[in-house]
Amino acid sequence: GGGGMRGGRNVVVEPHRYEGVFIVKGKEDALATKNMVVGESVYGEKRVSVEDAGVSTEYRVWNPFRSKLAAAMMGGLEDVQIKPGTKLLYLGAASGTTVSHCSDLVGPEGIVYAVEFSHRSGRDLLNVSKKRPNIVPIVEDARHPHKYRMLVGMVDTIFSDVAQPDQARIVALNAQYFLKNGGYSVISIKANCIDSTAAPEAVFAGEVNKLKEEKFKPKEQVTLEPYERDHAVVVAQYRPPKKA
Amino acid sequence: SLVPTHVLYEHAVGYTLFNIKEFEDIGSIIPEVDAAIGDRAKFNGIVKLASFEPFKNAENALVNCNSISEGIAPPDLITFLETNLPKKKKNVVLGVQEAKLAGSIIEGVPGLKMTFGGPVTEILRGIRVHFAHLAKDLPHHSLSKAQLSLGHSYSRGKVKFDVHRVDNMVI
Repeated sequence: GGGGMRGGRNVVVEPHRYEGVFIVKGKEDALATKNMVVGESVYGEKRVSVEDAGVSTEYRVWNPFRSKLAAAMMGGLEDVQIKPGTKLLYLGAASGTTVSHCSDLVGPEGIVYAVEFSHRSGRDLLNVSKKRPNIVPIVEDARHPHKYRMLVGMVDTIFSDVAQPDQARIVALNAQYFLKNGGYSVISIKANCIDSTAAPEAVFAGEVNKLKEEKFKPKEQVTLEPYERDHAVVVAQYRPPKKA
Repeated sequence: SLVPTHVLYEHAVGYTLFNIKEFEDIGSIIPEVDAAIGDRAKFNGIVKLASFEPFKNAENALVNCNSISEGIAPPDLITFLETNLPKKKKNVVLGVQEAKLAGSIIEGVPGLKMTFGGPVTEILRGIRVHFAHLAKDLPHHSLSKAQLSLGHSYSRGKVKFDVHRVDNMVI
């Protein structure tokens, strides 16, 4: 693990407009989350401590080049739909690096059901989950939510980063089981995973249309430049309440 | 498909059987369930808790979860259904989450009529929404702690028995 910048007087941390996310002010501002497991990095990320009136708080820096969710925040998403207390289903959890920031973000009142199919990554995810009691690790195929239906409750938000051509269908299947009416899905789309010959904008539009057919109402979309090429994050609301 | 008289809901804490109210026509089930999803009182008018059997311990929960995950009815489930479904099966239609499990249950409980998909899917979705309330008087501990513990053991099992794992090789 990397060493933290020790509680310097020079370090200033401000709340981000996204509740539960912070900005470490410096030469270049950085995103951060409040570390749930003080004193430990998860994947070698920098830690920053701030003293305020004798109380020390530790933050973990969140690199948008390593996390599509962080990149979408930097890209100016209006609402990330993940905040303290959120129940989150995370599809494509990989080794759990972004999941660990989501765990910080939702805090002890929230929960992250983290699904990852690769056994190699799953082992890392299990290790991250050991120290973070708000992560339920699920080593299983996100295409088959019925396989893990006993492990997951109803959630407020689904975040998906599964890089599969049928991602929209995978999200819709999981939403049918686990996403509450009016909940949100936040989907990272890599254009050439869906169609490597079409223009990225056309691919994103196609995915949004698939979501519309599955009871989702698109809310917003950002591209992940300059952190990722030809990626977008799309936010859509599931079974939105009917207007009176 | 058939209209369910009962549905089975599987959770990390155990098995629950619900009675479903009689619907006049099958076409009205989905809209009625959908309208009740945000309204606990309305939903309580559609499903009634009939019986519950908690898993004996963490190990027992894992055995059942592994089996349900593969769509195979474990012995505990067959016993649970035989004990708690009405003895006269003629008017019983049990709704479950998916086809493979339905097939496996029929082998264990011959003569039982089964249904899945369509309205059953929406009813089970509604039960998941309201389960904390529906299960509030049941003899179990925290629902989320049960999922947390089972999530860890289920996933450890997946990783452990991976025959393809590279670091398993001994030269």
